[in-house]
Amino acid sequence: MSKSRSMFRYAAIGLTSALALGAGAGAAHAEVKFGALYPFSGQLALLGEESARGLELAVEQINSEGGVQGEQVKLVQGDAVDNNQAIGEARRLIAREGVKAIFGTYSSSRSIAASQVAELSRIPYFELGAVAEKVTSRDLGYLYRTNPTAKDMARTIVDMIVESVAPELGMDPSELRIGIIHEDSSYGSSVAEFENKYAEEAGLNVVAEQAYPASTVDMSSIVLLLKEENVDVVLQTSYQNDSVLFLRQADEENYDPKAIIGGGGGYSMEPTAEAVGEDVIDGVLDADFTQYNVNPEFAPGVKEFVEDYKAKYDSAPRSGHSLNNYAGAMALLHAIDDADGFGPDEIREAVDAIDIPMGETAAGYGVKFGENNQNTRAKMMGMQWQDGELVTVFPEEAAVSELKLQD
Amino acid sequence: MEIVLQITANGLMLGGLYAMISVGLTLIFGITRVINFAHGEFLMVGMYIVYLVTTQLGVHPYASVLLAVPALFVMGALTQKLVIERLRNSDEHVQIFATVGLSIALINLALLIFGADIANTPSSGLRHSVGVGTVGVLTGQLVIFFSSIVLVVVLHLLLTRTRPGRAIRATAQNRAAARLMGINVSRVYVLTFGLGAACVGVAATLVAPLYPASPTIGTYFVLIAFVVVVMGGLGSITGAFIAALVIGLVDAFAGYYLGSDLKEVAVFGIFLLVLIFRPSGLFGARRNLSHVSP
Amino acid sequence: MSTSTLSLPRNRDGWRAPVALAGVLAALFVLPVVIDDAFVYHIFITICIFAGLSTAWNIVGGYAGQLSLGHAAFYGIGAYVGMMLVNAGVTPWLGMFAGGGVAAVVAVAISYPCFRLHGPFFALASIAFLEVFRVLALHFSGVTGGATGMMVPLETGWMWMIFQDRLPSLIIAFGLMLLTLLVAWGLRQHRWGFYLVATRERESAARSAGIGTVKMRLLAVAISAALTAMLGTFHAMYLTFIEPGSVFSLTFSIQIAMFALIGGIGTVFGPLVGTILLVPVTELARGWLGAEAVGLHGFVYGSVLVIAVLFMPDGLMSVLSRFFGAGPAARDDDGAGATTSAPSRTQAQRAPIGDVVLQAEHLDKHFGGLHVTNDVSLTLRKGEVLGVIGPNGAGKTTVFNMLSGFLKPDSGRVSIRGADGHFHSPASPGDFARLQLGRTFQIVQPFAAMTVEENIMVGAFHRHPAVADARRSAREIAHRMGLARYLDDEARGLPIGGLKRLEIARVMAMEPRVLLLDEVMAGINRADLQEAIELVRAIRDSGVSIIAIEHVMQAIMSLSDRVIVINSGEVIAEGAPEDVVRQEAVIEAYLGKESVDAAAQ
Repeated sequence: MSKSRSMFRYAAIGLTSALALGAGAGAAHAEVKFGALYPFSGQLALLGEESARGLELAVEQINSEGGVQGEQVKLVQGDAVDNNQAIGEARRLIAREGVKAIFGTYSSSRSIAASQVAELSRIPYFELGAVAEKVTSRDLGYLYRTNPTAKDMARTIVDMIVESVAPELGMDPSELRIGIIHEDSSYGSSVAEFENKYAEEAGLNVVAEQAYPASTVDMSSIVLLLKEENVDVVLQTSYQNDSVLFLRQADEENYDPKAIIGGGGGYSMEPTAEAVGEDVIDGVLDADFTQYNVNPEFAPGVKEFVEDYKAKYDSAPRSGHSLNNYAGAMALLHAIDDADGFGPDEIREAVDAIDIPMGETAAGYGVKFGENNQNTRAKMMGMQWQDGELVTVFPEEAAVSELKLQD
Repeated sequence: MEIVLQITANGLMLGGLYAMISVGLTLIFGITRVINFAHGEFLMVGMYIVYLVTTQLGVHPYASVLLAVPALFVMGALTQKLVIERLRNSDEHVQIFATVGLSIALINLALLIFGADIANTPSSGLRHSVGVGTVGVLTGQLVIFFSSIVLVVVLHLLLTRTRPGRAIRATAQNRAAARLMGINVSRVYVLTFGLGAACVGVAATLVAPLYPASPTIGTYFVLIAFVVVVMGGLGSITGAFIAALVIGLVDAFAGYYLGSDLKEVAVFGIFLLVLIFRPSGLFGARRNLSHVSP
Repeated sequence: MSTSTLSLPRNRDGWRAPVALAGVLAALFVLPVVIDDAFVYHIFITICIFAGLSTAWNIVGGYAGQLSLGHAAFYGIGAYVGMMLVNAGVTPWLGMFAGGGVAAVVAVAISYPCFRLHGPFFALASIAFLEVFRVLALHFSGVTGGATGMMVPLETGWMWMIFQDRLPSLIIAFGLMLLTLLVAWGLRQHRWGFYLVATRERESAARSAGIGTVKMRLLAVAISAALTAMLGTFHAMYLTFIEPGSVFSLTFSIQIAMFALIGGIGTVFGPLVGTILLVPVTELARGWLGAEAVGLHGFVYGSVLVIAVLFMPDGLMSVLSRFFGAGPAARDDDGAGATTSAPSRTQAQRAPIGDVVLQAEHLDKHFGGLHVTNDVSLTLRKGEVLGVIGPNGAGKTTVFNMLSGFLKPDSGRVSIRGADGHFHSPASPGDFARLQLGRTFQIVQPFAAMTVEENIMVGAFHRHPAVADARRSAREIAHRMGLARYLDDEARGLPIGGLKRLEIARVMAMEPRVLLLDEVMAGINRADLQEAIELVRAIRDSGVSIIAIEHVMQAIMSLSDRVIVINSGEVIAEGAPEDVVRQEAVIEAYLGKESVDAAAQ
């Protein structure tokens, strides 16, 4: 009786382990498993994979240095293609694979869904790349985030206007007429919300705000509106299609604001520059994760990262996501190396103790977890397209070039 | 006043674009009554063809019409022949889902081949601004606008003055009667689908230099195209043209006065009102409405 | 779309289907519990949620045949209402019903104006509504949290539907799925289910059978929306996070409908079967192909979908039902009546012709510039057979449409004496049916996907609201009409003579006092003609008053007590059959002026 039952159980497990994406490998000696939960397929796959590469490189480096606590790290991938799937994969990683912690996730909504599973299972969840504020707004005890957020992006943009753009234009910041446009999903909306907030605090004059769907095919009415309001500085938070559309249509309707500042997304990508042409993109500003044209003294290890990346993947990094995932993962893995075991509370204790000052990671910013386990030292960088390249211009200690505006 | 003129100009240009894309769908939907969810993906495929031809051969984007139109015609005809026709006796649900499957497959095929990044066709001077006074539009937009008029006229002549055209119209009016008159109905459908897709080929050629292609570019256009086709009245090509201009103007004015996030509400709201109060479309004169119950 | 297969097989060797069904349901619950693995739990919870959503969709998309591609709107309403209430401190157990209620109201409000739209047009309207909902949810961020979405606090326990364990989530998901299946199954067995399918198949025939087609559709939409919303509330609690983009999603709507389609649209358990097959397959394909290359998995998914639709347009259920023997097996309760196709004549003595039961006064109707009926008046007495003849296009059927409420005359009125002895002027086909007026259609209007028995039951419900009574009555009528051996066959398979009889049988099942027959003799062969005449005579003898449009002169002459002739929308002659056919105007109308001259010489 009991035998037949266990036979059945065995068969059933065999059957359903086919569902388990065939990821189970035999356990080797001295090996610890961590989950890598990213959207590897679907619409977000491109940057999801790019993010995961940063984590992979970090793990490779740690393993070559002797692993964590003497054990080799093995990454188990989970594909968070939608919110429901993110939950399923988080459960699989925890229950089936027995991972000691999960790293992820690039997409904020996937992160929110999956981290809840980890929290209820008391498994640490390390967010290395999702930017929505909500990720860390739920008093979760096991969720940590190393990367800067939408708030930091808005902070950097407003700081950049006050400290660099206005002086460069020879104007008082409050004289500038600011327009905020953004795509209407979570990413654009949350950045815009904080842009408004900080702009008000800094005494800036926001005269227009418009949301639009990222899939739009026409932004002429937005350009008209900005033109009518005599907007001097346009802040756009957008993906690729809408960045191209706006830059082109603004150019074609002879709308020439004193400055355009993008919030990551399409503004950090080479194809955007190619699509609109060098003469249009030149001078456009951008705030985003740390990119590669950054002062290596401020971001030690960034050159080595790029070399390792090229050696492993045979191409240059496609965006800053890999670098930021790498930097965050390195800080965390080093901390876990110092922990007294792989239990959730040992890991938490070690991670809570992290105290890396500014300018000592490959992404430049330091690591120190504060309220809601958000990295209080995470910062976005200010960049500018100069001669077809995206170079860091803000803050000064990270800059490799000076912010230049034509008039 | 200037601003109103500029919005009107933008709206008309946008309307021309919508007309360009919808004319083919009017033929397909109006005559075969199949909701082709893959219509937007036809456009996407066309735009990638233009992108490839232009960047690989270094010719003017408009020259790629020579390849895009036949390619799309074949694609449309094959869709009808291999998929829709086999489901002619099935429920209309089934036909719709077949095109949904086709749409998913095509989007992901593009993703597989070209990646998620945008593919940028050189604009070859078509993004040059021309205008009167303060009102300006692009040469490429003007070309689209006038081409859409030409396309409407050509299709109208084709349908009224040629034998295959008359066969198409007869089939649209009454399938059974057409069959009795010796018309090969299934061939007419294949022809119609091909013709409709070929129109999308023309549209893709003209649109590609102005808009970057991406695997999902079609999804936005396909809903607008259905709005235009239904508003214009089933199978009425001139109706679709006028409806496209109306939707273009609504889009532009709502975008400016209501806000860009709510313009879709305006467009779909008008669409719903038309569907509910004038299911035959704004310009549909046909009394025999098979989609409205007695 | 085959509705009757496996809805619940009644034949004796059909025990396999219920057993298989019970086995599948049990496995859905037992397997994850036995395996006890969090991921397996998740897969099965997902299956339960999607099976529930798909089954609920099927009530509108399958039973009622209205292709909704906007069902995510109701799912979203459930999710948002539930979540807002949780954030206000109300348990999702209440929120679930609040969401269901709101969704039902919204569903009725948006479907009512769309009820005239069919097929692709309804689908487009539903997509438009979904888009509007999504944009509004994004725009009114004060209420919905906007694009950044909405979350619930992670408070665990039954009160908040969030659990450390996985079993409780499975219990709820499984319970909700069972509830949905039960509602869907119960509805299909109920009179309403018959009405819905009948409405889908032939709207005008359904209306003439007294079905409030709009009301039925709204009922279906409301039930479906409420169930969808309840599942939405639970799923939101399971995800703990919702955002407009993923909740009000067209892709999601399509996916729900797709499961039903692959399983078998309109069947009770098709959506369940489709989901059980597709969810694991999707997971597997994603696992195998997702890592290979971006887009490969989606490409294969889309292609497989096209192929599946091409080769199994009726879904998995039609394949399965062949295994489970629910096909047209021989009935053993036919009795002797099955072997003879001849209608058994009742030997009732003909009652004398009585008072006026139906009266049409000065009916006028224009279609555009065309004057189709001009001042048509007629009366019908109890137990009388009134023949209506006239050339094609004379306006006879238009008169019928006015006599049965399908058309409103421009002027003039139709009144019927009710069972209470007073005259009434009904307005809609339903009102006419309630006064016990039944009609057939010139072009037969069978409910093609229903069995012959179900077809007749639709009529029988008019007098026998309970399913069992209606079935008994339907069988009896089928025997009388010589349709007994076809009882379990789908109507679409009947020969034309059978369809004509079915048309009459359905009307007779309503037990009408007044019967309008529109060319029931046309197109049947000579041998059957005599039978048909006998049949009408038998109906007359049972006390029914009949108006018959007919071209078959033999039938008219032998049946009619009185004949009126309509030409060009006007009554040109009236009287006893043999007198009327001799009138010059009648011959002229039928044969042209020359014939009259020729006859006169």
